[in-house]
Amino acid sequence: MPKVHTLADAKREQRRAYWTLVLPGFLIYISVMAFPTVFSVILSLTDYNGGRLFGGKPVSFVGFKWYGRLFVDEYFYLALKNNLWIVLVSVFGQIPLGFFLAYVLHRGLVRYGDFFQTMIYLPTVISTVVIGILWKSFFAPYGAFPELMRLFNPSYEYGISSHPLFPVLFVILWMYTGMYMIIFIANLQKIDGSVIEAAKIDGASEGQTLRYIILPALSGVLVVSAILAISGSLKSFDLIYVMTGGGPANRTTVLSIYMFDKAFKGAPNYPLANAISTVMVLISFSLIGLTKWVEHKFGGKE
Amino acid sequence: MRDIKDTKSIGARINTVLTYVVMIFFTVMAIYPLLWLVMNSFKTTTEFQMNKLGFPKEWVLVNYQDAWVRGKFPRLILNSFIYTGVTTVATLVFSFMAAFAFAKIPNRSTKYLHGSFVIGLLLTLQSIMVPLFLIINWVGLYNTSLGVLIPYIGIAMPMGIYLGTEFIKSIPDALVESARIDGATYWKIFISIIVPMAAPVAVTVAIMTVTGTWNEFMLINILTSSDALKSLPVGVQKFAGALSSDFGKQFAALVIGLVPMLVFYLSFRKEITKGVAAGAVKG
Repeated sequence: MPKVHTLADAKREQRRAYWTLVLPGFLIYISVMAFPTVFSVILSLTDYNGGRLFGGKPVSFVGFKWYGRLFVDEYFYLALKNNLWIVLVSVFGQIPLGFFLAYVLHRGLVRYGDFFQTMIYLPTVISTVVIGILWKSFFAPYGAFPELMRLFNPSYEYGISSHPLFPVLFVILWMYTGMYMIIFIANLQKIDGSVIEAAKIDGASEGQTLRYIILPALSGVLVVSAILAISGSLKSFDLIYVMTGGGPANRTTVLSIYMFDKAFKGAPNYPLANAISTVMVLISFSLIGLTKWVEHKFGGKE
Repeated sequence: MRDIKDTKSIGARINTVLTYVVMIFFTVMAIYPLLWLVMNSFKTTTEFQMNKLGFPKEWVLVNYQDAWVRGKFPRLILNSFIYTGVTTVATLVFSFMAAFAFAKIPNRSTKYLHGSFVIGLLLTLQSIMVPLFLIINWVGLYNTSLGVLIPYIGIAMPMGIYLGTEFIKSIPDALVESARIDGATYWKIFISIIVPMAAPVAVTVAIMTVTGTWNEFMLINILTSSDALKSLPVGVQKFAGALSSDFGKQFAALVIGLVPMLVFYLSFRKEITKGVAAGAVKG
């Protein structure tokens, strides 16, 4: 005998099941992600500065005051510039290198591919904190780097670097290239091998296969990787926080550290911090939009 | 194919050798710093100052003994296991429940609810950091493990929902419908049909949640201040980051901080790389 009697009963049971399944997860998500995101934008337009959130000192809206403050702060531009460097290294360093490694491994141009892949991906899985302190000690005046340099150039003297961001960029390249390698390998595996074989039999060279078969098939993945690299670069916090803390003299600061300092160091300025994070989100979305536009404009079929 | 390989020209051979050289170079670049770290964690600080690049003359364990006790590592590791375990299980349960409803129970709200989760894939931790700090304080969860766990679960949800819904959609509707005709409730269908079938994608989501939660540093750093609640990364940063001259101990602490993820990676290599590739579908 069927358990459901009427259509109305069935509908009601269906609705009840739907909401009991969806609500627990949705409520958690709304309260820790969706609401805070909206709240952040609202805060950036107020003069709230600590104290009880609701029912405390009255909070008033001050419009775009903090955004105005931001755009005249030289440290904002310094942080922005450093972030753009990281974006550049990610898009034009990690992605091409990752692609090269994936290509070599996927086409079986070397033996022991599994070993190479495992080792090259290894840095990506380790805690950023461990990586940051490790490299900080490695590059420090007392660390291994000056010693290593002296092996090649005995007159090498450790000095205060004129490009303090260099080590940070290097570590970012070191740490995340493996991730793009893995993404590309997974997508290379989706390409029909018989097409490549057929091209080879027809006399296509390795370069021609790459140019006319593999790259066009991967254009969608390249765009996704670029988007990942851009949003990842703008988010970078842990590594720099641990490696340099933004120093010396804020020379390696990035937007997220700039924001963190405003919110949690010294006298908190929550509205300003939220103005920074809102600007970060806007930059991220516009760069992603730009990437999509470039893809749309200059071909590349998914 | 065979004879083509055997008659490789000298140019092709040089190419092969060059490819090996390049691959070996990248491999050495990737693991040398880690080997350097491990090697130096077995030297006394005095030896390190005189011998920064070579093997230890004498392998000592004293750094580990010191760091383990003074860095309070047993507590940190236990905390990290709790945070990661609870977050992963809760994320799997809640996100697959909702994913099942989105994929198999028709409802007009699905478009908006599912859409709001997908937007979550693009949101950044930075944009919620300050509000979350204020809200957690306001509701009195600052410095509690619940105040860390709830945000962790919420942050991991979008990926779980996204991958879960995609996968459950691919399960034939007929399976759910025939179970309904036989009188099974949606809950029973979820437990006895969906969960077993969705196991492979659940593994992917679990692995992504484990790596993300275990390594998370920024939020827990601002949402807690008590020693008893610190996770391994925070503990390592506070302890090892503060040791600016006691290198042996610092390196030992870093190795302790590195080992759990290393073991996890080497045990689930295939699943982890599959998860990374799956996660890149977003965007």
